[in-house]
Amino acid sequence: MKNKKTIAVIFGGKSAEHDVSIITAHTPIIDTLLTLDEYEVIPIYITKEGLWYSEKQMNYMDYFKGDIQDKFTKLKPLQLSIGEKFSIVLSGMVSKKIDIDLVFPAMHGTYGEDGSLMGILRMANVPFVGCDMAASAVAMDKVLTKQVVSAAGLPVVRYEWLTQNVWEKDRKGFIERASVLQWPLFVKPVHLGSSIAITKVKDRSELEQALEVASHYDNKVLVEESVENLIEVTLPIMGNDILTPASIERPLNKTEFFNFEDKYLSGGKKGSDSGVNNNYSEIPANIPPDLSKEVLKLGKAVYKVLGCTGIARVDFLIDSKTNQVFVNEVNTLPGSLYHHNWKASGVSNVDLIQKLIQLAEERFAKDQKVVRTFESSLLKSL
Amino acid sequence: MLQASEYKAQDYLAWLHDVKDFRFVEKRKQIKWSAKTVLLVFVGLMLLISIASSGLWLIIATNLPFRHVLGAAIIILSPILLSYLILAPLTIIQLLVQKPIEFVIIYFAKKKLAEHHGVKIAIAGSYGKTSMREILKTVLSEDKEVAAPPHSYNTPLGISKFIKTLRGNEEVLIFELGEYYPGDVKRLCKLINPDIGIITGINEAHLQKFKTIEKTVQTIYELADFLGDKPLYVNGESILARDHARPNHIMYSREGVNSWRMENAHSDLSGTSFVMEKNNVPMEIRSSLLGLHQIGPLALSADLARRLGSTPSHIRAGTLKTKPFDHRLAPSVDRNGVTTLDDSYNGNPDGVKAVIAFLASLNGRRFYVTPGLVEMGSKKEEVHREIGRELARAQIEKVVLVKNSVTPFIEEGLYEEKYEGEVIWFDEALKSFAALPRITVKGDIVLLQNDWPDQYI
Repeated sequence: MKNKKTIAVIFGGKSAEHDVSIITAHTPIIDTLLTLDEYEVIPIYITKEGLWYSEKQMNYMDYFKGDIQDKFTKLKPLQLSIGEKFSIVLSGMVSKKIDIDLVFPAMHGTYGEDGSLMGILRMANVPFVGCDMAASAVAMDKVLTKQVVSAAGLPVVRYEWLTQNVWEKDRKGFIERASVLQWPLFVKPVHLGSSIAITKVKDRSELEQALEVASHYDNKVLVEESVENLIEVTLPIMGNDILTPASIERPLNKTEFFNFEDKYLSGGKKGSDSGVNNNYSEIPANIPPDLSKEVLKLGKAVYKVLGCTGIARVDFLIDSKTNQVFVNEVNTLPGSLYHHNWKASGVSNVDLIQKLIQLAEERFAKDQKVVRTFESSLLKSL
Repeated sequence: MLQASEYKAQDYLAWLHDVKDFRFVEKRKQIKWSAKTVLLVFVGLMLLISIASSGLWLIIATNLPFRHVLGAAIIILSPILLSYLILAPLTIIQLLVQKPIEFVIIYFAKKKLAEHHGVKIAIAGSYGKTSMREILKTVLSEDKEVAAPPHSYNTPLGISKFIKTLRGNEEVLIFELGEYYPGDVKRLCKLINPDIGIITGINEAHLQKFKTIEKTVQTIYELADFLGDKPLYVNGESILARDHARPNHIMYSREGVNSWRMENAHSDLSGTSFVMEKNNVPMEIRSSLLGLHQIGPLALSADLARRLGSTPSHIRAGTLKTKPFDHRLAPSVDRNGVTTLDDSYNGNPDGVKAVIAFLASLNGRRFYVTPGLVEMGSKKEEVHREIGRELARAQIEKVVLVKNSVTPFIEEGLYEEKYEGEVIWFDEALKSFAALPRITVKGDIVLLQNDWPDQYI
């Protein structure tokens, strides 16, 4: 019998998007890997406290329904082993070591999507799916993303940003600077995804309140101009060197902007196979062909500039009156991989997951060829 | 499994003979605790205790040579012995309780039906009976009071229970005649005394029970024997039915029926349409039923309705109301834009052929999902190879097969015709259903062909 590759899917984590990550891990990643029957699937769940666990039943979404805390009182956290192979060690009567051939990160937000997890995986010399550490870290920081994107000459809306230190010491000065921007403004915690704690403000007092809230969630806060006559669109892209875009998708907002509830709670059953976003988005977005062309061009350019690999989603803001397209942000692990959009674009879950695994292996193989050490006589000369 | 085999000893024994792993026999359906089942389980437990006790008695209370070995063997083998011995109390229950009750029910039903003035239509055939019944009922109901037994009530007892519910004012009664063994159709004809008959087709369905196709033909043609000169419609698209038709029989097919001729036939996912023409008078027919093979039954219904006095406008309105029945080429589109054609109640070679032809006519990436067909008897290999060849010729992009004793023949048939698509295997039907959302994309068409009950291996 052919030896199956062992794939670890890592999800959960110390992140505001902990629960969303559990959904992404199962729909479509683990469900599809199990369907394929070509891999040994090892679920690795990280609690909100940061402890790592693994047991077979975690491959099934039912494990995580309801109150799950009791389950972990009996279970021992796993240990990571970085030797010739990347392995996990499960404690028990007899400890069990499982070698991992490839990792499929499914963690949104802090410690997962921000490049931290990718750092561990790079050190462990194991291939992993999705963007690498640097692209993840840049994309996680909305300010850094704007700085990199605008440095490459790509359009972003005008913005200001501040750290918690500035907020504590010079809030008036910052509000003064921010007030130069065209009102209304958006206030966003820089590192949070899924639209958490994002507020639209129309005057200085609302701005101050919003900054107060946002700085509770993050130590860096972005204030940016709002695009009026707004059409919000998003474009999932897959690839390393050759890029494959999915369809341009337009969220049909129920609320004033695309918030967490819209993304994960209101579009059909949470965790169902159909995933998120089915009921409230338009795929492909019904926008003029020249705008579609511009979005596709900018999407690919942003993906390259940030050094994305595997998969990412680029969000855009369009002023429908002036036809101006602005790059908004980049998401290196789209919720549920935006599999609903890929499906609508002719890529089944199986094709998507297999392709992402292939891209991970290709990037890893290429990376192995890079010379990182060289003979040095430095120590000999001491 | 006795329950799944409808308490028919022959079917149960066939399953018992084929099954290799008794740990996993209840996959699709769970046992239903009817009074009969409870009684049988109780008797079975008593039997099991008796068999084991007799083994123990042999060891303790006798001086027979090898009594220890013999006694231990009886105790160990008691579950296997029970699986056969359980048929004895079952037969006793059937003969002493069930049969007399059934006899009384059927006697009174026959008497009531003899006094009923409605036109009685009987439908026989290896396949397509329920679809024919539903089409006919829908079309005739446009201007008449029509009644037909629900579900698949096609046995003397099922039909008698239905007769009991009749109010007496029905103008047309439609009956399906179930055929499982020779003499079944004749028995039902005696109960119903039909005025008009329909033979929907004859093929290898239930061949396992009939053993030979000749016996199947004879059994279904018991309807023709009973009707004599009364009108009998025969499906001209079924070779076996057509070849045995007599001169006075009325042939129906997608080409025509009773001097009606068909024109402009068209079928897609939205339905089927055609024009019937007789003496230069056209009658346009539209239906939500899918596939050109539906034209024959629709045309027959129109002709029969005319025979019973319906006007063309009633017929047009009636046929317009016909729509796919559950699990018989019923289409649905999910939120991901994947169209599923549920044809899981279609398990006969002719029906399969017609549906593959329909699938071939559709645009999009097409998936054909099947566990194969049951009860094909000695024709098992031939029938399934032919399905494979049909699928290859139709250039169906993805064939999803469920592992069992017949699907390897479909794969062989596919490669005989140099199939270029993808064959995807699953251990169980339920696994394939669960996987479908992960292998399909918007615009795909998925056909679910036939079901595979637990009593088949």
